[in-house]
Amino acid sequence: MNGPIKPAASRSVVRAMIWATVPVLLLVQLLASAGVEVSSFWSQIRQLDARIARVAESRADLIAEPLWKMRYDQVTGVLNEIMHDETIAAAAVYDDTGVVIARVVARPTVQALTEVSRPIAYSNGNIAVQAGRIVIAYSYATLYVDTGSRLGLLLVVGLLGTLATVIAMRISANTFIGKPLAAMMSAIQRSKQDGRAYQADVKSSNEFGQLANAFNAMQHTTSGALDRLGHMASHDPLTGLPNRRSLSERLVTLSRDARSPDALIAFSFIDLDDFKGINDTFGHDAGDKFLVHISERLRDTVGPEDWVARLGGDEFVVIRPEVSNEAAAQAFAQQLLEAISAPILLHDKQVVPRASIGLAVRRAGDPELSHLPALADIALYHAKSKAPGTVAVLDEALQHDYRRRRDLELAIPTGFAERQFEVWYQSQVDLVTQEVIGLEALIRWRHPEHGVIGPGEFLPLIERSGNNARLTRYVLTDACRALQRLSAAGRPQIRIAINLPPSELADHSLAAELRETCERFGVAASSLELEITEGSLINNIASASETLRRLRRLGATIALDDFGTGYSSLAHLRRFPLDKVKIDKAFIREIPDSAEDKAIVGVIASLAGTLGLTLVAEGIERAEQAQAMREMGVRLGQGFLYHRPQPLDAVLRELAKAGSSGERVLADGPSIVPEFAA
Amino acid sequence: MTAVLRILLAVSMAFGVLAPAGRAVAADAKPLNIVFVSPGKTGEVYWDMVAQTMQAAGRKLNANVEVLTSERNYRTMQELGLGVVARSDKPDFLILSNEESAAVPILEAAEIAGIKTLLLSNTLIGNDAARLGQPRQKLKTWLGDITTDLTTAGARMANALIGAARHEKWQSPDGKIHLLGIGGDEITPASIARNAGLQLAVAAAPDVVVDRMLFANWTQSEAEQVAANYLGWAQRKGIRPAGIWAGNDPMALGALKAATAAGLEPGQDIQVVGLNWSEDALREIQAGRLLLTDGGHFLLGGWSIVLLRDYADGCDFAAASPHIEVKTSAITRDNLASVAALIKTRAFDRINFARFKARPGRCGQYDFSVDALISSLLPPSGAGE
Repeated sequence: MNGPIKPAASRSVVRAMIWATVPVLLLVQLLASAGVEVSSFWSQIRQLDARIARVAESRADLIAEPLWKMRYDQVTGVLNEIMHDETIAAAAVYDDTGVVIARVVARPTVQALTEVSRPIAYSNGNIAVQAGRIVIAYSYATLYVDTGSRLGLLLVVGLLGTLATVIAMRISANTFIGKPLAAMMSAIQRSKQDGRAYQADVKSSNEFGQLANAFNAMQHTTSGALDRLGHMASHDPLTGLPNRRSLSERLVTLSRDARSPDALIAFSFIDLDDFKGINDTFGHDAGDKFLVHISERLRDTVGPEDWVARLGGDEFVVIRPEVSNEAAAQAFAQQLLEAISAPILLHDKQVVPRASIGLAVRRAGDPELSHLPALADIALYHAKSKAPGTVAVLDEALQHDYRRRRDLELAIPTGFAERQFEVWYQSQVDLVTQEVIGLEALIRWRHPEHGVIGPGEFLPLIERSGNNARLTRYVLTDACRALQRLSAAGRPQIRIAINLPPSELADHSLAAELRETCERFGVAASSLELEITEGSLINNIASASETLRRLRRLGATIALDDFGTGYSSLAHLRRFPLDKVKIDKAFIREIPDSAEDKAIVGVIASLAGTLGLTLVAEGIERAEQAQAMREMGVRLGQGFLYHRPQPLDAVLRELAKAGSSGERVLADGPSIVPEFAA
Repeated sequence: MTAVLRILLAVSMAFGVLAPAGRAVAADAKPLNIVFVSPGKTGEVYWDMVAQTMQAAGRKLNANVEVLTSERNYRTMQELGLGVVARSDKPDFLILSNEESAAVPILEAAEIAGIKTLLLSNTLIGNDAARLGQPRQKLKTWLGDITTDLTTAGARMANALIGAARHEKWQSPDGKIHLLGIGGDEITPASIARNAGLQLAVAAAPDVVVDRMLFANWTQSEAEQVAANYLGWAQRKGIRPAGIWAGNDPMALGALKAATAAGLEPGQDIQVVGLNWSEDALREIQAGRLLLTDGGHFLLGGWSIVLLRDYADGCDFAAASPHIEVKTSAITRDNLASVAALIKTRAFDRINFARFKARPGRCGQYDFSVDALISSLLPPSGAGE
């Protein structure tokens, strides 16, 4: 929060007002009083001048006769009388010869003196003469002193007045402005702190009261909007369920509201299986409707203390704040799963929703309660990957798996950098001639701690971390190098198959890079075979077709891997530019005992023959299987019966051995790891 | 006794009217009782001398003169005067001086009491003069007044100054003779008259200018002060002061001191005139420092007795005028010797006042000149001692 925004802000307004007005006020006051005082001073100066002039004139009248009659003592006497006037410093009378007849000095003065001089006119019946002059020297000192003291007084009064004004302004401004502002600021602060719209407590009816009323009205409006916003922010608009945001808040309150720290909290992470398929099949509106149905079912199923949220997409969370034990939690999760699984009518078609649930149970006092979603997600991951449509409970094993997965994922960049990834090769054999006609490149991870890791475990991690392309290039390069060596070993006819992950099919640059790599190693693109899965085709039909066509133009052949496990769409076989179809080992495993599987393989073989596709049987482990395949017209095979996947050097050695010792079948390879072949 | 006296008086009056001539009147004239209420102080030279000449004349003219002194207090003067009026034994004549117009109530009371009055030196002025008119009109018993002609005195003094200055060629650079006038005051008739004399004389002399008419309250020190001020002023103005006219002797003496202090030698560089025939003035004249002192009007005391003697003897001075104006006279170095001793010793008994009585048929016509005075003087009684 912005700490410094406190009532200080409102005070600063008041202070600014005071700063803006008080100096002006003081200045005006001082100037005005000084102006008045100065003008009064000048008028007093003029009055004093006039008064002294009058004194001089009246004294001149009085002095005229004694002066004329040379009664100089009387002149002095008259002159002395005026010395009572304290402004008069000295006076002198001069006769008509300009000589001082009388002079009186009140006090020695240092200040500048002003003089007034008047003629002394004497007249009687016979004559009228100027008998002399009277000169009075006087000082403005008393005026200066008076004016100075009055100015000082005015200054003091002005300062006191200003002080009083400042105090009055502060008090009134604080009362009339500061307090309402502070009240509103406080309301705003509180609103900022917890997002609720607080009212400002302002009672006055002046502009600030009106402002506060308007503010409060706005707060009221804001409050509603905030409530809606808050609701929107924390709820899923489609289902009305709380959303991911609410989840974290909920987790906080869970531990707080728990009756005891040992209460068990059941966290169910629900993920609908194949929701994408529903969207694709019925459209997004139906998908939304589907989600609403599911949310309603969840709501109906849970108790009042339980909490349901939709985290987005097809993910839901149900939290039961108190369960007696893990078994009860699991039963509850199972109950949810059953509720979800009731059929739903979409576009007049019955759809049976399926979901997987990851369940995590933790004590309310668990300091890592906030990790509940992650923990449940681990369980969910397990359920989705190992047993979709079930409840997986988080246990130590799952957590161990999770940690291993996480470790591996984090180690991928190091793996690349330190070339921990190894490409092994498993041979494809002509079932009739027993001749090795090709090799499938299979990736292994020689992890410094976990040992050799099969692709089934780390490929999803590679894909999730966005390293598919890098790995593919890695394998491609290795394969090209292998082709070089094969050629060098005199087996240039052996081709190498590379597995292409679905994402690579969408990468149009793949073909160009493949060509470039082949050129770099001096091998023919036609020596390369690219294996794809049906799923990767379906997800991106147009783009995949384009890439495949480009690759084929280079001379590479395309093989459809694991046929029979997925859609097994016959249409796909026709639509895509395929050269080979690899029958999944699941069909081979039960052969020759399973008539059913034999029939399926037979049909596939027949179809492939019709479409001009070469068939490869995977997972041939026994000789009778190879025999059955030959009988059904499957020409090529791959499996432990012939070779396990092994490093190139081993492959080359065997090829050399076979070359020298004739066409010998190797039942066992030197594989040191379990079989992970795809 | 009184009846016999009255009969005697009536007979003698009838006889006198019927046989007016005769120088032997004095001898057989009946004695007069005269009271003089002096406004002055005991020791005040002028009024003392007035009283002394009055008494000397009374001795010569068979009149008993009683002098009452007001000591310069006019209330006292009125009390004294009214007291005389209220006396059962009333005097024949009451002589008053109308200083400050204080004598008017006494005049009116005397009218009621039937006492004949004579004003000496100061007569009625202003409202009183207008209200009461001429003597013997409203106030039957107010016989008249005897005063001095001070205007003529002032003019004579001025002319003496002017003459001396012209003789010495004491003109200032502007070609004029510059004088200073020092008056006693500006309000009393005696002062105004003197000053007017100065003005008259100067007005008649186009080559003379009175720079200032200053007033010194009749006193020597103030006159010295103003004279000094004037002399300083004149020096600054580039004026050559030719003379100082002083309204009385003390002020003239002050002017002398001021002139001396200013580095002038009176009599040589500047001339000063005074008035009063005071002893000090005569001494200065003797020393050649003072040009002249006018005056002799203290003789009004003696002359007033002469008038009343004549009136009582049937020769009424009002035949000429009820206002007797006596000319004063100047004493200079020329005539100093004849009167100096008289004044110095106040031997007024040397004056033969009987000589000044009006001649038969010429009532009211008197020669009170200094020459007449000098010629009337008897030899000093104790000259040999």
